[in-house]
Amino acid sequence: AVIGRAGAMAAAAMVVAGGGDFSDLREIKKQLLNVAERSRERGLQHSGKWAAELAFALEPLPLNELPPPPELTEEDARDLDAYTLAKSYFDLKEYDRAAYFLQGCKSQKAYFLYMYSRYLSGEKKKDDETVDSLGPLEKGQVKNEALRELRVELSKKHKAQELDGFGLYLYGVVLRKLDLVKEAIDVFVEAAHVLPLHWGAWLELCNLITDKEMLKFLSLPDTWMKEFFLAHIYTELQLIEEALQKYQSLIDAGFSKSTYIISQIAVAYHNIRDIDKALSIFNELRKQDPYRIENMDTFSNLLYVRSMKPELSYLAHNLCEIDKYRVETCCVIGNYYSLRSQHEKAALYFQRALKLNPRYLGAWTLMGHEYMEMKNTSAAIQAYRHAIEVNKRDYRAWYGLGQTYEILKMPFYCLYYYRRAHQLRPNDSRMLVALGECYEKLNQLVEAKKCYWRAYAVGDVEKMALVKLAKLHEQLNESEQAAQCYIKYIQDIYSCGEVVEHLEVSTAFRYLAQYYFKCKLWDEASACAQKCCAFNDTREEGKALLRQILQLRNQGETSSTDVPAPFFLPASLSANNTPTRRVSPLNLSSVTP
Amino acid sequence: MASVHESLYFNPMLTNGVVHANVFGVRDWVTPHKMALLVLLSELGRAGPQLGLLERRRLNRLLLPLLQGPDMALSRLRKAIEECCPQLAGSVHIRLKLMAEGELKDMEQFFDDLSDSFSGTEPEVHKTSVVGLFLRHMILAYNKLSFSQVYKLYTALQQYFHKDEKKDGADENEMELTNPEELDGKMEKEELDGPLREEEIACSGPLSQKQAEYFLSQQASLLKNDETKALAPASLQKELNNLLKFNPDFAEAHYLSYLNSLRVQDVFSSTHSLLHYFDRLILTGAESKSNGDEGYGRSLRYAALNLAALHCRFGHYQQAELALQEAIRIAQESNDHVCLQHCLSWLYILEQKIFDSCVLLEHSVNKSLHFGLPYLASLGIQSLVQQRAFAGKAANKLMDALKDSDLLHWKHSLSELIDISIAQKTAIWRLYGRSTMALQQAQTLLSMNSLEAVNVGVQQNNTESFAVVLCHLAELHAEQGYFAAASEILKHLKERFPPNSQHAQLWMLFDQKIQFERAMNDGRYHVADSLVAGITALNSIEGVYRKAIVLKAQNQMSEAHKLLQKLLIHCQKIKNTEMVIRVLLSIAELYWRSSCHTIALPVLLQALALAREYSLQYLASETVLNLAFSQLILGIPEQALNILHMAIEPVLAHGAVLDKGCAMFLVAKCQVASAASYTPQKKIEALESAILNLNEAKTYFAKVDCKEQLRDVLYFQARLFHTLGKTQERNKCAMLFRQLHQELPAHGVPLINAFK
Repeated sequence: AVIGRAGAMAAAAMVVAGGGDFSDLREIKKQLLNVAERSRERGLQHSGKWAAELAFALEPLPLNELPPPPELTEEDARDLDAYTLAKSYFDLKEYDRAAYFLQGCKSQKAYFLYMYSRYLSGEKKKDDETVDSLGPLEKGQVKNEALRELRVELSKKHKAQELDGFGLYLYGVVLRKLDLVKEAIDVFVEAAHVLPLHWGAWLELCNLITDKEMLKFLSLPDTWMKEFFLAHIYTELQLIEEALQKYQSLIDAGFSKSTYIISQIAVAYHNIRDIDKALSIFNELRKQDPYRIENMDTFSNLLYVRSMKPELSYLAHNLCEIDKYRVETCCVIGNYYSLRSQHEKAALYFQRALKLNPRYLGAWTLMGHEYMEMKNTSAAIQAYRHAIEVNKRDYRAWYGLGQTYEILKMPFYCLYYYRRAHQLRPNDSRMLVALGECYEKLNQLVEAKKCYWRAYAVGDVEKMALVKLAKLHEQLNESEQAAQCYIKYIQDIYSCGEVVEHLEVSTAFRYLAQYYFKCKLWDEASACAQKCCAFNDTREEGKALLRQILQLRNQGETSSTDVPAPFFLPASLSANNTPTRRVSPLNLSSVTP
Repeated sequence: MASVHESLYFNPMLTNGVVHANVFGVRDWVTPHKMALLVLLSELGRAGPQLGLLERRRLNRLLLPLLQGPDMALSRLRKAIEECCPQLAGSVHIRLKLMAEGELKDMEQFFDDLSDSFSGTEPEVHKTSVVGLFLRHMILAYNKLSFSQVYKLYTALQQYFHKDEKKDGADENEMELTNPEELDGKMEKEELDGPLREEEIACSGPLSQKQAEYFLSQQASLLKNDETKALAPASLQKELNNLLKFNPDFAEAHYLSYLNSLRVQDVFSSTHSLLHYFDRLILTGAESKSNGDEGYGRSLRYAALNLAALHCRFGHYQQAELALQEAIRIAQESNDHVCLQHCLSWLYILEQKIFDSCVLLEHSVNKSLHFGLPYLASLGIQSLVQQRAFAGKAANKLMDALKDSDLLHWKHSLSELIDISIAQKTAIWRLYGRSTMALQQAQTLLSMNSLEAVNVGVQQNNTESFAVVLCHLAELHAEQGYFAAASEILKHLKERFPPNSQHAQLWMLFDQKIQFERAMNDGRYHVADSLVAGITALNSIEGVYRKAIVLKAQNQMSEAHKLLQKLLIHCQKIKNTEMVIRVLLSIAELYWRSSCHTIALPVLLQALALAREYSLQYLASETVLNLAFSQLILGIPEQALNILHMAIEPVLAHGAVLDKGCAMFLVAKCQVASAASYTPQKKIEALESAILNLNEAKTYFAKVDCKEQLRDVLYFQARLFHTLGKTQERNKCAMLFRQLHQELPAHGVPLINAFK
């Protein structure tokens, strides 16, 4: 065992490259290949896959630099037969059989496989038993019986410091399954220190860390793997800016071909709703890795949002051909049907996804959306609640619940849910606009104004906050502020460069024309009125106003002859383009439980 | 008193005073514990005829809780049976042992035999009896098991049995398993904790649906009736979380968790639980019925209503109003009159926080009667009576109304409302200043056998009415100088309503008020001053009033006056007549202390008029005493004596001991003063009667330990004896006076000028 420990230390010693040091890509590649091999030997396929994918992205090594196969120790040799037999049983998913033949093996590799197959056998039995438990309440009670024994044995080894990186990882997994989160985090951190190359340990850490504060207090090994970890966890914690930065620097360091990184970046863009960028990256990814199924659900979400029916249809058929019994495939097909407004079928596919993996969070939420479309509010509530049960931080589910209650005409009731969603995504304008609308319905105009302003300040996605704010000001007879809001709104629309037919633009111009007319600013008023004439619904009004202005002008003296540039064009107004009020904390008077 | 009703409206599942639990489909399954029970039943059937009557009765009493309760360890079950009938316990154990150590076919055989008990011409068990139902449930559940499940059940039985064996025998093996440094920490500990907490879930196993329901309803009713007996908030929450982990769809658990969070005043988790409950309830409602009247539309309305209740409970009145509006709107849209009535009552409560609105309430009462909601109607009537009492409506009408609603309560057996009604009567009598009547009502409630006690066996004793009555009782005792008794009552209150519970503020306030009075009587003003802060925290108006009194006692007249004026304006605004009169009295006292009796008179007359109008008799008499005193000082003692006759009777009948003493003292003073113009013979008579009155006053003052007043009385008496030439008595009084005078610091206020 001592030798095994030393071996692990040696492996750790291989990784000397600190924090962001990617200068020696060859060394990194060697390490990756090494760890991929070692993971595979232990049946840790996902970690192996990750390392291999990353290694693939780097330049191939010449023959003389290929890492030698891991050396065998005396113990390894002794256990070799048992290990070889057990590994083949393990690969055939006969875990109990594998464990039986590995009993008494001393080498690290065999010991790990022994413990791991016992763990997996427990998990498999658990899944099987869930189907025929004795009663409904017992369902949650079914647990992996092996866990406690494993924990006892592993903790003995842990105390004696006989566990290598993989062993620590397994110990951590066992602890996590027993809901001993704190201990699990400690063990995973230790595992990352002993064997930083093992991606599995990092990934488990990602799942256990719930906020930025927790992250700060972790003492992580200072290796290049940490960069991947940080990037990943920033994405998880919705700290997209930081995540994108990290990924960019990784790409710059030479991982530009890594499909993993590309997909992560795409997901990150998806999270901040930068749809175009995300779409283009996903398309790129599909080109590089056409048979990839992972993350394709996210891709389909994007296609859905953009209503790109043919692309979505192509994707769905393509994935269905590759493997139709994958969660992601079902999800894509669900999205496809949803886009075609066949909501029953969509719900069916989401249900299938959940059958394949009950912990697949996205499907619950999406199913909720489908039920909403079908106006089956109670089923929608159920689905959303399930989603929240799986992950309390799923803001879409909270938001969906809020929407459901809003449809049921309970604006006060849904405030709670929107607030929840807002807490999880403080900088998402959609929640703020929703909150604002609720407050408006409740006639709490002050709060509503705060929400709209905030929504505008954090970057409004749907560009509706300002119009709503303006209308509120209009209602409250605060014409000055209303006009300002409309001006900003028009600037926003024009600076976007999009010539999207915006319904409210005409309203804005009409109001502004009348406002300037009242203020007797004839030039501005006539400019606005002329703009009004460009829209169908305000044409007549605009013409009438123009006539009036002309009349009044003729009565008065002629004003200055030089015609200033229209104020609403972005160029002329770049000077005062910044919001006049700074973003203040959203201090809603109501209690926010 | 004001919050009596509030707390009752808080019960959301409550319609007409009945708590409706959501009725689940009866789902049950076989567990080893249940099998042990089955064995017990079959043994009982076999050995039944040989058992003695007493043993059989004991066993029968044992059965029901066993059938309903949670699973327990075999050792506990055996102990329970042994207590009833040792012989039977032995045979049950042997049968189980045979089954557990035998083969699978033994268990199969056992279940095959079970159904025999129904057959035959004279079956041992009736099919529809409690035991029969249980047996049939079990047989059905067993028959439904799949092959692997049957085997699992059998191994579970073996484990169940062997665990017990091991515990009995040498614990060596067990120790080895648990020993390695509390590795099996959590789980094992929970199991160990189990047997210590007697009534609770002792077994680590999951609860069946039935058992969970039983647990929830038991805890909920304990929370409602006797909070101290329910599980502590933390452990209850733990149990609930456990329950929810096994079955997240168990909506009722969320509701109980909401109630539990309310206990500890946790806004966040209570809101969370409440909304979660209704989200879940909407599901179950939707399954059974469609969107119609009874479907989830109904729970939506009540969801909004409950949210309003929650916000009201935490004092977020604006939020509460918004939620209530929502509830009303939805209820109106779906024509749910019952829900609307609930909303209306709530609306009243909310409006009450802002302004009084009888109209709403009257409306609510009428409508509730119309829709056959006696509970709501009675609550409305009671609120109305309370409100009218403050508004000074005729007492006889109020009492009539209460009597009528009492009739309703008895008719519908609404014991909760009966309690409230009595508590309210106590409070109203106190308000009117009839302490004997109040005392009688309080005692009635306390010695009455609750209806619930007959029905369920749970004494309702942590409702607000009990708190109110006990507090009044304590104060009444303190007024009569029985401080030991008062503190005894307060001690009891502390036990019954622990400091963090909902109604604890009531006794806290009364406790401090009583202490304050005592401190004032003893002249320990600094102590009284320190109590003011506590009183203010619980009741700001009362606190300010007390502060003024302390200032007055400390001779800081101008500060006291300023404070009192402010308070007066505020109380007039919120129409707190009782306090207005008390403040007026204090102001008048300030005036005559500064020898401005002429200014005091109109103030006193104003107070008198108010007191008469609102039939606050006791305050009226007190005002009359003040008035008489002023007249005495103004030199018209005859007039003073005349009006004193009006006041003296109620004071002696209902007053606090201190007031009685003051009154008698005042009478004596007036007698002496008016005697000046009498003939010598008559004068001596008058003085002698004055001495008698002073004696009476002395006994009263002695009772409450008012040394200052006692000293004054002694001085006065000595002077009178001197005038009458009774030297011996005079010397005795003088000696007593001297003793007291040395004890007490000299007082600045001249003797004759002090009335209190």
